[in-house]
Amino acid sequence: MDVVSWAVAAPAVSAAFVASLVEVVEAFTIVLAIGTLRGWRPAALGTSAALGLLGLLIVALGPLLDRVPLHLLQLVIGVLLLLFGMGWLRKAVLRSAGVIPLHDENVAFAAETEHLAEAARRKRTSLDWIAGLAAFKAVLLEGLEVVFIVIAVGAGRGLLWPASIGALAACVAVLIVGAVVHRPLSRVPENTLKFGVGVMLSAFGVFWTGEGLGVEWPGQDLLLFGFAALFFVTGLATATLVRRPSMEASR
Amino acid sequence: MTLLHDIANELAGMFFADARLSGAVLALVLIVAGLTNSLGVEPLIGGGVLVAGCPLILVEAAFRDARRRRRS
Repeated sequence: MDVVSWAVAAPAVSAAFVASLVEVVEAFTIVLAIGTLRGWRPAALGTSAALGLLGLLIVALGPLLDRVPLHLLQLVIGVLLLLFGMGWLRKAVLRSAGVIPLHDENVAFAAETEHLAEAARRKRTSLDWIAGLAAFKAVLLEGLEVVFIVIAVGAGRGLLWPASIGALAACVAVLIVGAVVHRPLSRVPENTLKFGVGVMLSAFGVFWTGEGLGVEWPGQDLLLFGFAALFFVTGLATATLVRRPSMEASR
Repeated sequence: MTLLHDIANELAGMFFADARLSGAVLALVLIVAGLTNSLGVEPLIGGGVLVAGCPLILVEAAFRDARRRRRS
């Protein structure tokens, strides 16, 4: 791979890895709660079924995307990336500024445990079924975002495999760490990761959307870093400015 | 059906969690497309409008949301 190929492959792989890390940590918390409360069999079955369905989705969508004209694919994926990436970045900015609370894996774990206990009180039969379905749903819903990110950062430049490997690496990393510590991974700096992913996805979004509209960016793929820097600085500055009024009010 | 409903909600939330931000992004893309395809503006200038517009939309969305949440 030459320097320019690496310039686009590295952000694609790292975006897929970091974004997947965030989503897998959230799914892991719920699966851990289910495994702890109802045993690992329904948790593993639900998780495997969801992963199988997500894998099928990628296998089915991959060849379909090859048939879409490149400019149209770049435009559609670019716009979706802008919507998704800027949405994440907005939320990360607001969390960083203290406007909305940070996501807490311990709270999520307690909520899922309570939810399952409540289900157990209401329905005394088929508890394993309920637990398996809860694991299936959690992994499927969190995984949908991972599938979108892998396809979005990978499809425009034939980087579907490297992006998939990035996502898979995140799954393996969370599973290994999770198996060792055996409790919610609450020390993962989720908002910082979300901020970083929001920056990268927004940069990809501007880049693909522009290319889809016929823009030939000077510096080509290397300009991705410039776009990422622009969103990074904008996000940081906005978080600082949004935080200011609340600090003054608290004096 | 609940699962399908949850999937639909998840997908909608992925792209339209803030309807005004999403609307502004779509409007910006339409403006750039109109400039470059219909008005014959140089594509790179259209790209510049996109690069300048997206951070502005982000800043506006963050400030608007912060104001709204502090009021409530």
